[in-house]
Amino acid sequence: MKTRILSHLMMGAALGLSVAGASAAEPIKVGVLTPLSGTYSPIGEQVRWGLDLASKEINDSGGIDSRPVKLVYEDSEANTSVATRKAERLYQSDKVDFLVGLVNSGATLAVGQIAERNHRLLATSVSLSDAITGSKCSPNVFRVNAPGGMQANGLAAWLAQSHPDARVFSIGPDYEMGRNTVASFQAKAKGAGLNLVGEVFPPLGEKDYSPYFGKLRSARPDVLYTSTAGNDTVRLFSQLDSFGLRQQLTIVGASVAVTAQNIGAIGKAAEGFVTVAGYSPDIDSGANRSFVKAFQASADGSEPDLYGADSYGMLYFYKAAVEKAGSTDTDAVRSAMEGLSWETPQGTKTMRAGDHQATMPMYVLQVHDGRFGIKQKLDAETAAVKDSCDRF
Amino acid sequence: MSQALEYFQFVLAPQMLNGLTIGVAVVLVAIGLSVIFGLLDVVNMAHGEFYALGAYISTALYALGVDFWFALLLAPLIMLPIGYAIERGLIQRVYQHEQRHILTLLLTVGLSIVLQDAFDLVFGPNTLRPDNPIPGVTEFFGIYIPNYRLFLLGAGAVVVTGTWLVIFRTRLGAMIRAAAFDRDMSASLGVPVLRVYAGTFAFGVALAGLAGVLLAPIYSVFPTMGHDFVLLAFTAVIVGGIGSFQGAVIAGLLLTQIQAISSLFISPHWTEPLVFGIMVAVLVVRPQGLFAWVGRG
Repeated sequence: MKTRILSHLMMGAALGLSVAGASAAEPIKVGVLTPLSGTYSPIGEQVRWGLDLASKEINDSGGIDSRPVKLVYEDSEANTSVATRKAERLYQSDKVDFLVGLVNSGATLAVGQIAERNHRLLATSVSLSDAITGSKCSPNVFRVNAPGGMQANGLAAWLAQSHPDARVFSIGPDYEMGRNTVASFQAKAKGAGLNLVGEVFPPLGEKDYSPYFGKLRSARPDVLYTSTAGNDTVRLFSQLDSFGLRQQLTIVGASVAVTAQNIGAIGKAAEGFVTVAGYSPDIDSGANRSFVKAFQASADGSEPDLYGADSYGMLYFYKAAVEKAGSTDTDAVRSAMEGLSWETPQGTKTMRAGDHQATMPMYVLQVHDGRFGIKQKLDAETAAVKDSCDRF
Repeated sequence: MSQALEYFQFVLAPQMLNGLTIGVAVVLVAIGLSVIFGLLDVVNMAHGEFYALGAYISTALYALGVDFWFALLLAPLIMLPIGYAIERGLIQRVYQHEQRHILTLLLTVGLSIVLQDAFDLVFGPNTLRPDNPIPGVTEFFGIYIPNYRLFLLGAGAVVVTGTWLVIFRTRLGAMIRAAAFDRDMSASLGVPVLRVYAGTFAFGVALAGLAGVLLAPIYSVFPTMGHDFVLLAFTAVIVGGIGSFQGAVIAGLLLTQIQAISSLFISPHWTEPLVFGIMVAVLVVRPQGLFAWVGRG
């Protein structure tokens, strides 16, 4: 506390004199490389709202270690080659201390290598692929959101309880994310004693799902798992409905499948859909209620979704780590981050030292009257995935 | 026995019925192609983009407050002068050249690229989705089928029959076929050959536009939408026998049934190599097409 007051005084002095000693008040630069245009721009918007709110709150209450935070934005265009080019620039010309905001899992993996080469740190609050903190983990990369594996764990646990012995059919878009989420879910579902009866992978952006319904019908499933996203989910659900298949199925899916952005377009067909995610604006805690209120005030009335909440919490994670380390030096901040527990609107998160994956409570969410409601809370241990990182 | 019946009712019949609606969609695109290909001997690589143009015109008409039924009538009428102008302004210029096939093919490929970029510039890259004009579902014997797809079956039958009647049972059709068969003799008998060619091209283009309006509520509207069907439609025309109108219709329905039924056993992805494999096999073994014997009217 004493040093805090002292540094406040020093900052005042430095500002007043505006000579020398400016280092104490020099802003800490955080690079934000996120999709501001293109398919994923609605996610990038939530990331921006969450980070802007957190940086405003942090700067209003004295900054990080008395230094203000400055966010430097770049558009990743959800494109890996654009992201890697801009990441180099952010690290080398803009000299950012910390880089965040990437959405596309492929881009996160690629920029992770750039972070290593530049001896700087990277964190994601959105990317789902298990590989980021698993088989392709990096000492310089941290993840504060729940990966596909944690969501799948929660879903399988809920299904085993509510639909024991169910026949499960899976559908996912035909690229890294879709294949990865379906494989991960099926492994967990099998472990939970459910029967896997088939899988299909239509291309991303499929216009007509009806040719796939033959395989679906002949498998006679009770439960359908989907990791389609955006407008693909809209078409899948409305076509299932118009071919008379929707009402026979319990549909569950990855958190990307049904979101605040497409739930209106899906309409009644979304009713009853179940997912597992690390956040819901309905979480009943004082911290969350005031977060939702502040978020809506600064985001033109939009509710925060999991991307907004995870991104908001990420800046507080960095603040806690820098203050614990006493500097922004990469090695010092990395050791401060490992094992760190910090408070977020979602509850307490803990950054595991072994694989740089945060653990957190998860929520089983179900659509009711066009809105997600919390059905069940899973504690952090139930949802957690085993540490499989062996690089550090 | 009851198990087989249940498999038929619950799995096979819905799949075949759905395959039939997709078949009708392919045939709708293929008949315009067959008219231009069979009568004018022009490989129209821009046919998919004319199909897309019809769909875009319909969405523009909806935005102006025109309803589906009126757009169905209006869009092909708007396409007619466009097709006529393109034939007179572009195709006709290379039509008399001895390298006609290559020149018209290159010309229409170029045209398709220009049109695709034009859609992108004018209407934006995002997918547009017109409202379904006939919502709801019909159930019979436990098989559910969306009403609009049922309508599509009927509309397809009407369009195919109508086109056949025009070409093979009217004086105009006789004139078109005569001009296609022997240009100089027709001209000497007083057939305005150049205008007939342009009119036939315009007719094929209008058919593509009509298909665009009919299929947009199912498949959405986006700049590259022409690709999806035109390859299958070309396959139907080739397998059916180049220039054989009925052949294209039969082949279109048959190929989509093969797709539908095989996708019960293999991934629907792999049905495309299967269908194009059939096309390659037909070109090698029986280049005149499987149904060329069905005749020309």
